[in-house]
Amino acid sequence: MSPLPGFPGSGLAKGLAVTLRTMTKKSVTAQYPDTQPALAPRTRGVIGLFEENCTVCMLCARECPDWCIYIDSHKETVPAATPGGRDRSRNVLDRFAIDFSLCMYCGICIEVCPFDALFWSPEFEYAETDIRELTHERDKLREWMWTVPAPPALDPAAEEPKELAAARKTADKLAAAQAAAQPDPQPGPQADPKGEDS
Amino acid sequence: MNDVLDVALRLLIVFVVFLTFPLIVGQTEHKVMAHMQGRLGPMYAGGFHGWAQLVADGVKFAQKEDVVPAGADRRVFQLAPAVALLPYLLVLLALPIGPGEGAVGQVLDAGVFFVLAVMGVGVLGSLMAGWASANKFSLLGGLRTAAQLLAYELPMLLTAASVAMAAGTVSLVGILDAFEWWWLPWQIVGAIVFFVAGLAELQRPPFDMPVADSEIIFGAYTEYTGLRFALFLLAEYAGIVVLCGLTTVLFLGGWHGPWGADGLGWVWTLLKTAVLAFIVIWLRVTHPRLREDQLQKLSWTLLVPLALAQIALTGVVKVVIS
Amino acid sequence: MTLAAAVGTVAHATTTTLTTAAEARGFLSPTGVEIAFLLVGLVTFGAAVVTVTTRQLVHAALWLVVALGGLAVEYLLLTAEFIAWVQVLIYVGSVVVLLLFGLMLTRAPIGRSPDADSGNRRVALAVAVTAAVALVWVVVDAFRTTWIDLDGTPAGSTDVTGASLFQHWVLPFEALSVLLLAALVGAIVLSRRANTAAAAREAEARERGAGATHGTPHGTPHGAPAESAPEPASGPSPEPARAPTARRRDAEGNR
Repeated sequence: MSPLPGFPGSGLAKGLAVTLRTMTKKSVTAQYPDTQPALAPRTRGVIGLFEENCTVCMLCARECPDWCIYIDSHKETVPAATPGGRDRSRNVLDRFAIDFSLCMYCGICIEVCPFDALFWSPEFEYAETDIRELTHERDKLREWMWTVPAPPALDPAAEEPKELAAARKTADKLAAAQAAAQPDPQPGPQADPKGEDS
Repeated sequence: MNDVLDVALRLLIVFVVFLTFPLIVGQTEHKVMAHMQGRLGPMYAGGFHGWAQLVADGVKFAQKEDVVPAGADRRVFQLAPAVALLPYLLVLLALPIGPGEGAVGQVLDAGVFFVLAVMGVGVLGSLMAGWASANKFSLLGGLRTAAQLLAYELPMLLTAASVAMAAGTVSLVGILDAFEWWWLPWQIVGAIVFFVAGLAELQRPPFDMPVADSEIIFGAYTEYTGLRFALFLLAEYAGIVVLCGLTTVLFLGGWHGPWGADGLGWVWTLLKTAVLAFIVIWLRVTHPRLREDQLQKLSWTLLVPLALAQIALTGVVKVVIS
Repeated sequence: MTLAAAVGTVAHATTTTLTTAAEARGFLSPTGVEIAFLLVGLVTFGAAVVTVTTRQLVHAALWLVVALGGLAVEYLLLTAEFIAWVQVLIYVGSVVVLLLFGLMLTRAPIGRSPDADSGNRRVALAVAVTAAVALVWVVVDAFRTTWIDLDGTPAGSTDVTGASLFQHWVLPFEALSVLLLAALVGAIVLSRRANTAAAAREAEARERGAGATHGTPHGTPHGAPAESAPEPASGPSPEPARAPTARRRDAEGNR
């Protein structure tokens, strides 16, 4: 029937051979609830929140294409650190919630966060029976934060990460200052707060 | 009294076979198809490799609401599944499974004709369902069913006639009694034609245009739900059992085997039937659906001439050896 | 077509029923088989009457299935097993399917179709009754004294039927098949002439090319071939043409 080279029907036989061969091989199905999938480190499972880094700048909420991030906050006055100094106001986070029934996992909020408060977590088992329960509050988001894997290691020849470089520079400076102050221990306390600032 | 008991026992056995074998074939299809596609298939129902999947399906179907569309012809619509299913039950009665008269539900003088006739009636169920559903896709499915039956009944009959000529009888038991091993190469073309035509009559892939889901949803069964739908599915799988059993009996020698044919003849029959059922599943997994015109062309330009050639060959050999 | 077939069935049913009555020497000595025969005959008769009186086209075809199946059971009760199965195979399995196919292809409304009713019901009734009376009379007259022994060797087994068909009745059998062949050729010729010259040329070209015969030959057997053979121009090659002949031969064999 088939106009293939060889005897008529050789294509049909070839197809049968393929399926038969596949049958004898081990199947690749992962039995999910019994065996957990091995996920890539950058899997987009769910978004975790590291509250301490959040400054309530609202960038994530504004950039979100479908407006699924809810943030409430209030301002708090921090008394001046030094006598005679000015009081500072600070944003305190009251509520941070993401509605995962709206979220489309674009990751723009994570990209846009200037203070590294949002992270992708590979966690994916957060199905709910009611769509309203898919709006997860900050405590849940914080729990997910602990499932965020360590960032992948850099290439051996890569430039040192900025924060590490800064920390190392400070440490070096500190060490140098300490070394300089070894005979005379007075400048030590002056150098310390400087190092912690940066 | 003994006779009554005997009849009752035979009917019971046939009924049990009718209820279990299609399920076994169905489960085999689940697993074989899955593994041929690199999957595992059902794994949970029943615990061990999902052996109870079809039982669970049956329970599910039984729970579903039985819906009859508002515009449908109610009685015909409800009657159709029974018309589709019962013929296969009747056919099973006539299939001899082992040597002697004790291993067949009912010895029939014209067994071949009975079996083919009753199988043809089963298609009426699909036609009734297709027409009564008041649905254009169902009607198309019914039309395709009818066209397919008309095209493929003929090669089936002709090849069965070839075997009947070879055996000199139309009784299934008689055909098996007359079987010799060299019938196998002698009737091989007929066997293939019969099997292919049978597949087409059962609407099994690659001949499943009447239920082609990508074209006409589910053909004649589109509007069916619940148990009636399950009955149609059961009819399809019972059809596989019947077709494989019939091919075994007509062409592969039934209970004849290299050894142990007297005591364990039924094992041979079951084994051959199982192998054929596997081939049915295998073909389904491997080959894509034919187009409607290709289907007709295959029958009229390939299978019918081949069947006629087989009859001619049978006749010549028969005259030469007698 | 339905009407004609159904009328035939009615006639058939009545005949067979009455034959038994004649057979049963003592009219009131019913055995189990005779009772079953009469009951099935009644059912067959009723189904046949419904076939011609129902106003729903497809229902008529389905009732025809019941009537033809009932006839098959009657044959079975008369130990003519072979004829019974051939009846199921040809009539229920093929002819009715063809009929339903034609109905669905043209039109098969659900519900009543008053326009399908014929205006000359009385004439039809008269013809039907005349035919039935003639048949009943002839059959009863011919077989009045015939007695089928149901308990002895089956009188209608495949052996007996084949022997009588190919020994005593072989000439009419062959004549019938020639007649059917003539009908077949006639159908092909008719469907060819209906086409214009251009279509014929096109068909010729197609034949020379791939020889596409799809969808062609299943319109040929039984009844109105012109409607159900949509594009028969390419002409069935010898094999498919031979095939319906064979089937019709079977069909005629049991008349």
